[in-house]
Amino acid sequence: MNQKILEIEALRKYYGKRESQTKALDGITFQVVSGEFLGIMGSSGSGKSTLLNCIATVIAPTEGHIVMRGTEITSLKGKELAEYRGRKVGYLFQNFELLDNLTGRENILIPLSLHGIPEKESRSRMGELAGYLEIEDVLDKFPAQMSGGQRQRVAAARALILNPEIILADEPTGALDSRNARTLMEKLSGLNREQDSTILMVTHDSNAASYCTRILFIQDGKIFHELRRRLPEETQQEFYERILHVMAQLGGGSANVL
Amino acid sequence: MKEFCMLWHSWEGEAQMFFDLVLRNSRRSRKENGLFFVSLLVSIVSFYIILSLAEQDVMVFLRKMESDAVDKLMALIPAFYGVTLFILFFLVYFASKYQLERRSHELGVYLMLGMRRTKLFLLLMAEDLWSSVLSLALGLPAAVLVSELISLITARLVGIGILGHQSVFSLEAVGLTIAGFLLIKCLAFVLLSGKIAGKEIGGLLAPAPDGAKRQLPAGIYFMALALGMLLLGMAYRLAICGISWTSMGKMGLTMLLGILGTFLLFYGLRVALGFLAGRQGKKKLRVFQFRQLQEQVIHQSVSLAVSSLLILAAMCFFGYGVAIAWGRSAGEVHTLDYTFSVWESENVPEILKKKGLSDSFKELFEMRVGHIHAGNQDVSVRMPRVMELLTEEEDSEEKEILLNNLGYVDYPYVISLSSYNRLLKAAGLEEIQLQSHQASVYMDEEFTNAVRAELMNRVLSQEPEIEMAGDVWHMTGKVQSRNLVVDSSITLSFALIVPDEDFQYLTGGEYDIYWDAVLAPELVEDQGLMQAIAAVNAELGETGLVYESYLQNMGRQLFYVVAASYLTLYLAFIFLIVANTVLGVQFLMQQQKTGKRYRTLIRLGSSYEMLCASARSQIRWYFGLPTLAAVVSSLFGVRALFRGMLPSSIRNETAGLLVIALAMIFLLCVIEWCYLKAVSRASSRYILTLMEPEREE
Repeated sequence: MNQKILEIEALRKYYGKRESQTKALDGITFQVVSGEFLGIMGSSGSGKSTLLNCIATVIAPTEGHIVMRGTEITSLKGKELAEYRGRKVGYLFQNFELLDNLTGRENILIPLSLHGIPEKESRSRMGELAGYLEIEDVLDKFPAQMSGGQRQRVAAARALILNPEIILADEPTGALDSRNARTLMEKLSGLNREQDSTILMVTHDSNAASYCTRILFIQDGKIFHELRRRLPEETQQEFYERILHVMAQLGGGSANVL
Repeated sequence: MKEFCMLWHSWEGEAQMFFDLVLRNSRRSRKENGLFFVSLLVSIVSFYIILSLAEQDVMVFLRKMESDAVDKLMALIPAFYGVTLFILFFLVYFASKYQLERRSHELGVYLMLGMRRTKLFLLLMAEDLWSSVLSLALGLPAAVLVSELISLITARLVGIGILGHQSVFSLEAVGLTIAGFLLIKCLAFVLLSGKIAGKEIGGLLAPAPDGAKRQLPAGIYFMALALGMLLLGMAYRLAICGISWTSMGKMGLTMLLGILGTFLLFYGLRVALGFLAGRQGKKKLRVFQFRQLQEQVIHQSVSLAVSSLLILAAMCFFGYGVAIAWGRSAGEVHTLDYTFSVWESENVPEILKKKGLSDSFKELFEMRVGHIHAGNQDVSVRMPRVMELLTEEEDSEEKEILLNNLGYVDYPYVISLSSYNRLLKAAGLEEIQLQSHQASVYMDEEFTNAVRAELMNRVLSQEPEIEMAGDVWHMTGKVQSRNLVVDSSITLSFALIVPDEDFQYLTGGEYDIYWDAVLAPELVEDQGLMQAIAAVNAELGETGLVYESYLQNMGRQLFYVVAASYLTLYLAFIFLIVANTVLGVQFLMQQQKTGKRYRTLIRLGSSYEMLCASARSQIRWYFGLPTLAAVVSSLFGVRALFRGMLPSSIRNETAGLLVIALAMIFLLCVIEWCYLKAVSRASSRYILTLMEPEREE
């Protein structure tokens, strides 16, 4: 039985004063269940990054609820908030956000240090992740000495080290070439399949999105469409083509909608 | 006409906007970089104080009697001022560079929006000028006030009395302060704006991160660290063993070893920090903290070393300056107020009586001192028994010095017993009794100390035999060392006090007479010693007598104190400001440059307190490392300064002075701590701005 991990309810985020108000999110409602690989797609300015930032508690929503395993996170403060950021969710950023003066290993272990967890406890997890993500060779190198793909995989290991409830990925392939992007997506979807990791990924790359199990399309701050991959019969290629189809409609504007 | 009016209005509006922007920007800069602004104020105050030194009450007073020495000191002031300007230039340059780098994006935006480069240049210059004017407007009145206070306090401390206080305000000093300050500001501005002007807009909008630093194998840094420590150790050894003072070359070598050692130490320090980062610890963000620190040490090893050397110089100067002032003012006991040097025909009491000055003096007596003329030997005194007894004493450095000094005594002075007893009486001490052919030993304070006197007293207690002018004499009593005349720079290393008849015989009637006098106590009580002597001096001027008063002697002493302490404290102060501002500004600059890392940590779940604690810890290390190196070096440095540069009159009190110097070094560490706190606060404020969610899109 699939469990709800994250519930988003009537989420609104408005910027600016009344006369010149921008509705970045305009009443979004959806749920994420355990073990799901959910993609959020939309064009620039559609509100997908605002949505992710609200879930990541980087910005506060104007209205609505974000409930993570029964806890309302919009009201979290101080210690609880820091605990949520580091332990309940793991992040994967478009530009990796590795600390460039720390080695790969030190970067991966930073969340442990932030939450006062002894290194021993995560040693086996660290070895497992490094092996799976193929970054064993670069653990003692600094980010400047790694390739883009290696950097993003190190960042992925950092996001996963504390075994978070959900991984939030913001355009993780945005700064990678196609080969490295494919490797990363294969690893992520592998984690999702094999370890039941829950992933919420924002992207506008249809290729990357084709690894998801479900995709929400956002336009002008509202959910505009939803796609589910028909597993197991639908191939990735077929799913990809369906995504392209919706994207074409999105690009054409509301006049052409269905 | 209508067109002109429109043009005028549009120009007026534009100018208004321009000046609003200037005021707003410069206010923001002051707020963001308060540390630098305060440093500028302090440097203006110190400029003014050194430049108006000649107007200080103490200096005006000293000029009356030590005009040569004061003039020499004043001739040095421009050189000091020049050096200070030179050092402060770097401070202004670095701090302004930091400020401009911070604003780089904003400047890029101005250019993107179509502001012409000349206008941007004008904008920056107007901002700079406005902040300079503001610094001067705040700094100068403060400077005048502070130097007025210093003048009053020193006048009181040295007892000139504040009745004759005159204002320290000097227009020339104000002018030079303004000129010097604006000069360095402008120079720094021109150099920096040249750099900005040469940059492309893209470069301004997204400043390139510091180039990836090329790393050498760790072994090289380790070697540098070890070599640095070794060189420092050698420099310390040379300094405290006194070898440095034997020649200019050796001194140069010591300095070179010390400086090179410090640079190498900081160059190699990254290995130690890397090691610390690699070790496991319980503290949150420990690895991050050491990696940040390590990066900073890699990028700034030179300026860290320079700061450490500046702090070291400040500590040495401060410790040495205060200790000297202290030793000088506390050291001496004085009995005599006047000494008249006379020709044989002159009768001092007679002359004074004629002038109606007899009542001004409580004591007036002859001090008779002469060479031995009786007996026709090569050597007038032989004292083998004394040397023998001394040799039998326990071995010590003091014994060696004494033996060495006595070895040179061939033709000692003799002093008449009655005149020395008058001196003792005037000082309220017990007179000494001597039989015929008995002699008491006189050694001036400058050539003896408690240990040597004790040694000599033990020898004298045996009443050793000596041979003087062919006769057998006995030494007796205890070592005497009251100053024979007012001028403490006239000293006798070794003399013998003998009964008056023997004195006549030994000198053959050829001796020098000094008339010593002590002022009447009522006079001193009424006016204070300084004023009383000054009043009597005025009357003595008309008698044609040649005399030396305690005032001159005191003036000389005072001059040494004032000159030594003013200049050393001034330099110490400037060095300290520069070193700390450089450290503080550099740390904050680095923190801003790496602001993204702090943001990432926040996203990964780091709390505000955690980040502030980590930054505080970084700051403690960043300030602590150069300070620690400076403290260790300063312990040796001050010891070396005492060994080589202490005036002979207080050389014997080294231990006490060292304690004072240590206290001063400690005081400077407290000042360091205050700076550290200020930087910590600035850093916490910055981190708070990072906590605010950033609006993306």
